[in-house]
Amino acid sequence: MAHFFRFYEKKRGDRRTGSQAFGNFGEALFFGIFFAVGCIAFVYMWVALVWPEWRANRQFGPATCVVVAKRPGVKPATANEPATYRPEIRIRYRVEDQQYIEDNVYDVTGLYSPDEHAVTATLDQFEVNKEYPCWYDPIDPHRVVLVRGYSGWLYLALLIPLSFLIIGGGRLVYALLDWNASAERRALMTQRAAQLDLFEVEAPDRNFPSVPADANLRNSPGTTLAYRLPIATTTGWTLFAASMACLLWNGIVAIFVVMAVGSFARGMPDWTLTALTIPFVIAGTGLVVYLIRQVLITTGVGPTRIEISEHPLAPGKGYDIFLSQAGRLAMNSLEVWLACEEKATYRQGTDTRTETRRVYEQRCFVRESFAIHQGLPFESRCQIRVPDDAMHSFYANHNQVIWRLIVKGKVVGWRDYERVFQIVVQPTVNGHGQS
Amino acid sequence: MNPRIKISLDEPARSYQPGDVLAGQFSLEGIAPEELRSVELSVLWHTEGKGEEDMSVHFFERLDSQNGEPFDGRQPRRFSTVLPNSPLTYGGFIVKICWCVRVRAFLARGKELSLEVPFRLGTVPNPRRVAT
Repeated sequence: MAHFFRFYEKKRGDRRTGSQAFGNFGEALFFGIFFAVGCIAFVYMWVALVWPEWRANRQFGPATCVVVAKRPGVKPATANEPATYRPEIRIRYRVEDQQYIEDNVYDVTGLYSPDEHAVTATLDQFEVNKEYPCWYDPIDPHRVVLVRGYSGWLYLALLIPLSFLIIGGGRLVYALLDWNASAERRALMTQRAAQLDLFEVEAPDRNFPSVPADANLRNSPGTTLAYRLPIATTTGWTLFAASMACLLWNGIVAIFVVMAVGSFARGMPDWTLTALTIPFVIAGTGLVVYLIRQVLITTGVGPTRIEISEHPLAPGKGYDIFLSQAGRLAMNSLEVWLACEEKATYRQGTDTRTETRRVYEQRCFVRESFAIHQGLPFESRCQIRVPDDAMHSFYANHNQVIWRLIVKGKVVGWRDYERVFQIVVQPTVNGHGQS
Repeated sequence: MNPRIKISLDEPARSYQPGDVLAGQFSLEGIAPEELRSVELSVLWHTEGKGEEDMSVHFFERLDSQNGEPFDGRQPRRFSTVLPNSPLTYGGFIVKICWCVRVRAFLARGKELSLEVPFRLGTVPNPRRVAT
């Protein structure tokens, strides 16, 4: 058996050593069962509940009946379920000169309810020997109801089998289409489906497949040069995360601190609690210091602005850069770097990991030992040049080549900071870059 | 004779520039027409390296029996396609982009045979290590 199927397989992300056919069969079987359960449940609910209710409302004819007797119908309690109840009324009515007497009449669904009081209250609305309207089935006049209407919850419950139907059916169709398809054919189907994405806001340039689109990088005109590049790293989220962590940690620690201090105030010091709380208080203090530093960095180092003369970039071409750094800072140095990084994403077990490797970096600008004054940003221009034989920007689901402009600042008495601006380098076509 | 696939590209150096025409031919040796269910020819790129594999098919052709006539893979069959502007072949440290022509033959009783011939698109050299 093991000759035909590998019982144990090695797996790393989507790469598997197991049998493709066996995998496809398993997938189709699983979603087939999912689909079948959905079908059976949907058909049952439709035939037993929805269709009779619809017919009672739309097709049953009106008549007048006399209540002969009434009682609460009871389904006795079992080991797993409590007792359930239903109004059961015996009525006498006439259809086309023929008299009928029917037992256990109420609604068309015939469902029982665990609410005994509600059932008793319903029965109290009917008095024996009095006349009430009823509705009978013209196909079978023995079928008769005393109430009509739709049960709202019933239609909500239909969503359960419907979701089974849609998810199971969709995946079953996908598994069957995928059954004998080669990896290339599957990739082609995925590509064509991606091209049908009507809501794709930033579609990649069809002339340069797998090169990321740069519409988002060109939608902000610069004041000095053509485009103002958006910053890729936002300090706001770091600050928010640090604030949340600080609040949560110190909030919890505060409870134990109050308990420890209380024990001292009562004259019965709890030394164990105090000793255990101290390390957590130290960690909490560390978080507060980190948060204050982040706030100072964010508010102290003003905004960094980068403008570029042309975009997208092409290998072998030079571009003007305008750098503006605001704030009130004594700078050790301010640098602008052009860098290229490879980024790979892979799965290890259930974790998704990302690894980056810098493959090119060049310092394009440096200024040392100077001061930036409040309201008077530091401004300078420089040139960058993408190497002649540079790899272009590349984007795929799990692999990327990313070009960046990085501003690195060293501030006197502060932590160094870095601000990243993404750019797109397109490949050279016939000796020329295209835009 | 063992069944085997032969692919040959017109450009012996297997080096192309964006917009060039990639042309060649393939044939299947030792496979009788009645044994052959279908053949797929793809010109594609895929990634190698640390990340999960990404793949994109630039040109795809599926050949199978038509009007009941079995497809004879023994006859050399030509193919050609204009290569795209990107992505260029790249041999990075953790991301590599490899172009190839791949022929996959589906035989009777679910057997499968495939062969790929790599080629180079563009002239991007491998990156050098950056001191960190």
